[in-house]
Amino acid sequence: MTDYIIPIIFLIIFLIVTFKKVPAYDYFTDGAKGAITLGVGIFPYIAAIMIMVNLLRISGVTDFAAKILTPVFAFLGIPSELAEITLLRPFSGSGSLALLNDLMTKNGADSYVTRCACVIMGSSETVFYVAGVYFASGKVKKLRFAVPVALISALISVIVGCFLVRFL
Amino acid sequence: MLIGFTVMLIVKPQSTLISMIDAVNDALKLSFSLMALYAIWLGILNILEQTGFNKKLSVGLKPMIYFLFGRVSDTTAEYISMNIAANLLGMGNAATPMGIKAINSMDDGTGIATDAMIMLFVINASSIQILPTTIISLRTAMNSTNPSDIILPTIITSFISTLSAVLLVKLILKIKNRRKKV
Repeated sequence: MTDYIIPIIFLIIFLIVTFKKVPAYDYFTDGAKGAITLGVGIFPYIAAIMIMVNLLRISGVTDFAAKILTPVFAFLGIPSELAEITLLRPFSGSGSLALLNDLMTKNGADSYVTRCACVIMGSSETVFYVAGVYFASGKVKKLRFAVPVALISALISVIVGCFLVRFL
Repeated sequence: MLIGFTVMLIVKPQSTLISMIDAVNDALKLSFSLMALYAIWLGILNILEQTGFNKKLSVGLKPMIYFLFGRVSDTTAEYISMNIAANLLGMGNAATPMGIKAINSMDDGTGIATDAMIMLFVINASSIQILPTTIISLRTAMNSTNPSDIILPTIITSFISTLSAVLLVKLILKIKNRRKKV
């Protein structure tokens, strides 16, 4: 279904544009020009975030944190296998996807743990990356309570996800 | 970052620089692919803007936007409505450039995030994706008997987490406003 959404939307847009006789080509190129400045603008922030994430992962800090937090997670109904993916999800999209892959190979694609992990992946975002991209281009430095709220909602989605997968 | 460096120094000093270069390499690749993506969507967005389509869209969503974000300018309301529409359609990568434009149009130069910016960020960071296509295809590849049986819990969970994020922001703002008055 989703495969069709994007082509259909493009088709509708270009039909309207042709019908209205506007210089669509000029509009498109004008808009696309902004992509370069935007990409260059966010690069240093993405670089800094990725360095931090990589150092934390390779040095084993995340593994250690996962071990410490396992009892807390168990209390919240989160299986111990999922501690690492819960912690890594807000930091790294590709990293957590790799973890999901590991979980699937170890536990099978239809196990409870795997299905929980899938729901966690699908219902949350790479919070720190989104923060970097959204706020970097506007030169906004003080984010106030934005990131904590996003992290709490990510944790809520893990708890709710693990709970729902038991029944659905 | 400080924690990362300190632990690296103790555990693996030799691979510190390598892992940093790796990370920046990834960041560079990501920035490039984002540029390609943004070029397409910003091009389309500009067409929509010039033809007045997003004005129409934002009129329909205005009551909801005013409720969530407070009084925002018309341009901001248009970008926000495009961002939310793209999110709901599952086009997360199209939503990002529109969200950035919305944030930029709200920027007042103080460098401090406004209430509306925080609300927009929190909604985007809590994911309102409807079909997790990557995950379904991964499960199919792993021989799952029913790869799409995670869709329903994912949608419910997304909805609850986004709702909780919105309510939390509203709650924090309410408490702050009350304190200001007293």
